[in-house]
Amino acid sequence: MSFSSSSNQDFELNLAPIIDCLTVLITFMLASATFLSIGILDAGVAAGGSAAATEQAPPPVNLTIELGHDKNFVLKVTGKENRVIPIAQTTKGVPAGTAANYDYETLLQQLAQVEAKWPTVKAITLSADNSVEYEDVVRAMDSIRKTIPVVLLGGF
Amino acid sequence: MKSKFARKRTESDEMSLQITSMADIFTILLVFLLKSYAASAMTVTPSAGMSLPQAFGQDSAIDALKVEISEKSVNVEGQSVATLEGYRFNQSDIQANGTSQSLSKALDRERQRQVLIAKANSDVKVDPRIIVISDRHVPYSTVKSVLASAALNGYTDFKLAVVKGE
Repeated sequence: MSFSSSSNQDFELNLAPIIDCLTVLITFMLASATFLSIGILDAGVAAGGSAAATEQAPPPVNLTIELGHDKNFVLKVTGKENRVIPIAQTTKGVPAGTAANYDYETLLQQLAQVEAKWPTVKAITLSADNSVEYEDVVRAMDSIRKTIPVVLLGGF
Repeated sequence: MKSKFARKRTESDEMSLQITSMADIFTILLVFLLKSYAASAMTVTPSAGMSLPQAFGQDSAIDALKVEISEKSVNVEGQSVATLEGYRFNQSDIQANGTSQSLSKALDRERQRQVLIAKANSDVKVDPRIIVISDRHVPYSTVKSVLASAALNGYTDFKLAVVKGE
């Protein structure tokens, strides 16, 4: 009698089916998980889209950067100062035998000079030639944001 | 005495796997995966074959209308609304103001839906944000047409989806 009661109390949970379920679930989640980290780049608000933007005092100068199809930049300063700064393509840092690239270094230097002269300017409009690839536009936006925080897409 | 020995012998011969600790590990793994799964439920997931540009972007924890530009089509919320040929719109689809007719129609439909929801529920506001998920090889002319079509339909706050890098 006492033996049968002790065997009833010695209860053990059968973990094997639980492990099975967990394995299937983990496999499914690992298969459906995305390991690519996607970020969001703020391309600003299109003209006339924001009421707050129009309420602010207009900046002394407007900055525009145009990306050319032959890997050159044109930095335009309009307003209280009118200047066009062309920045030619560069082969510096580009492997031999490959095409020249945009000269981000010179662009950032020129932007820093303009920003030092007009410190209240916090936005720039970026435009590009029709054939310029989206990757180049995003790379330019990313570089410019290091100097001027707000980069708006324009040209449409 | 004899029976005691016999029982001891059988116990030592039976080698059982410690499943309890394994179940613990699996449970922790599952909880971790579920947590990351829930956090990424609202994020941007590009279609297969898309190659997004790399940049140092912010977190993608925003929920807005998603427009995807791939080699052959433009998708709004996963549904193909305009066909592209080699990343470019058909010239017949482009209007005088640079917008795409078919994309504008689809975006207008989405806008009307948002306006209707906002009218019925005062807590919901009409969202001007739009997430552009574009392949890295798309020419700027196509991106311009998409942005112009979006701006024309009230989507003026552009967000560009990128792969976080560096």
